[in-house]
Amino acid sequence: MNDPDFITPLSLRSRRVLVTGAASGIGRAACELLSRLEARIVAVDIDEAALNGAVQGLAGEGHAQCCFDVGDVERIPGWMADVAQKGGPLFGVVHAAGLSCVQPLRLLSPAAYRKVLLLNTEAALALARGFHKKAVGDAAGGSIVFISSVMASAGAPGAAAYAMSKAALHGLTRSLAMELAPGKIRVNCVAPGFVRTPMFDRMSAPWDAAQLARVEEDHPLGLGAPADVANSIAFLLADTGRWITGSVLTVDGGYTAH
Amino acid sequence: MDSQIVTLITGASSGVGRRIAVQLSQTRRLVLHGRDEPRLLETRALCERPDEHLLWNTDLADGAQLDASLVQLIESQQLAVEGFVHCAGMLSIQPLRLVELGAARRLMDVNFMSALEILRLLTRKKVNAKHLRGVVFISSTASRFGARGFGVYSASKGALDAFMRAMAVELAPDVRVNSVLPGAVTTRMTEAMLSDPQLSARMAAEYPLGIGRPEDVACAVEYLLSDRARWITGQELVVDGGRTVNITA
Repeated sequence: MNDPDFITPLSLRSRRVLVTGAASGIGRAACELLSRLEARIVAVDIDEAALNGAVQGLAGEGHAQCCFDVGDVERIPGWMADVAQKGGPLFGVVHAAGLSCVQPLRLLSPAAYRKVLLLNTEAALALARGFHKKAVGDAAGGSIVFISSVMASAGAPGAAAYAMSKAALHGLTRSLAMELAPGKIRVNCVAPGFVRTPMFDRMSAPWDAAQLARVEEDHPLGLGAPADVANSIAFLLADTGRWITGSVLTVDGGYTAH
Repeated sequence: MDSQIVTLITGASSGVGRRIAVQLSQTRRLVLHGRDEPRLLETRALCERPDEHLLWNTDLADGAQLDASLVQLIESQQLAVEGFVHCAGMLSIQPLRLVELGAARRLMDVNFMSALEILRLLTRKKVNAKHLRGVVFISSTASRFGARGFGVYSASKGALDAFMRAMAVELAPDVRVNSVLPGAVTTRMTEAMLSDPQLSARMAAEYPLGIGRPEDVACAVEYLLSDRARWITGQELVVDGGRTVNITA
């Protein structure tokens, strides 16, 4: 290489990254990829057994795991301070934990949509609050990546609660990007289309073959894999994204392009 | 002779295009397009393995000539063009009352129509078989937001992005097509502008992460062209240090 200015693509060597929803789907794929990029992972999930399995599969060393319910938003900042005190400050936060919800309006109860907002949106805000605290985020700066959805910009029957929780993340991304820029913290969002994850399998279980085919056809490149989303999370976290903040990167096989 | 797999970069003779060329040359063989041959040679000298890269010296405003010379280049060198980065662009800042139609057409030709023409050729079986995989247009945040004197430039970038989305759908799943929308980065084109201390201070205040560097844009282009982005098509990726979310500027 003839130029020291080159950004070594995607390297996250020794950087500590907290990932929620780490036991399955997109969160798990993110942990796997980030560990191969030499990050030290703090894997967070509510499902302890699945979390054990996920952490065992990580590359490299220096990882930690926490069985924690991110719906417990009041406790998030204090808990993150603990995590940082025990294992060192964090460079990045990825909020991949989330709850899907397909409910027609007439059946959508306040308790149900509040739970969706709590896990998908309020937890994201609380994680950013925790990360912004002294001695939690790395003094040299850091990077936050939220996972929203194409449902933040597209509509579908029964998607009201999920869509509003994910659209709110886009607003959060833009405002936090502005507010945290002086502290050298970048805030971005990845908006995936339909990806084959355990969450997708649960959601699509009642569909017939024709319905599944229709959803596939809505993606000109077909359905995605968790690793497709993980790649974009890594791109935004790493120095490859050093001048990107307040952006939403849609990774959807062309779903929103047509 | 086997065909050579290459990536074509227009506007590679300076600024962002040059940096994209230097960065992509680490892993790809390139066709470097530019109008100014001496500066195109400078770009090639900065690349890894300079001897491997080909030059394409033509004026993109001249559609007929562009067509013939690209086909001739691909045939004579037996090229398989798998990547296309359209970075060539003219910027002229003029209020509407001073816009001259001929000049506006020329700008649209270079910034937009040439991308259409090149993509048309690169997806023709006779010319490039089915070799094309990834396309990235260098658009601008001016595609989404207004500024005084930017009418024609904004229109050209808006056309590019709208075309990008349509092509992403039309050419899927064989070809992925995306745009990168950069804010102001330090290049020779903006250096003079930024040497004015008043303007430079104002710009710094507008950009939450400061003014960018060409390599920030190059990283995004490299990512979108790579297989890591295999499920991304039809997207605009804003790379602007937070400028377009800053409504206080």
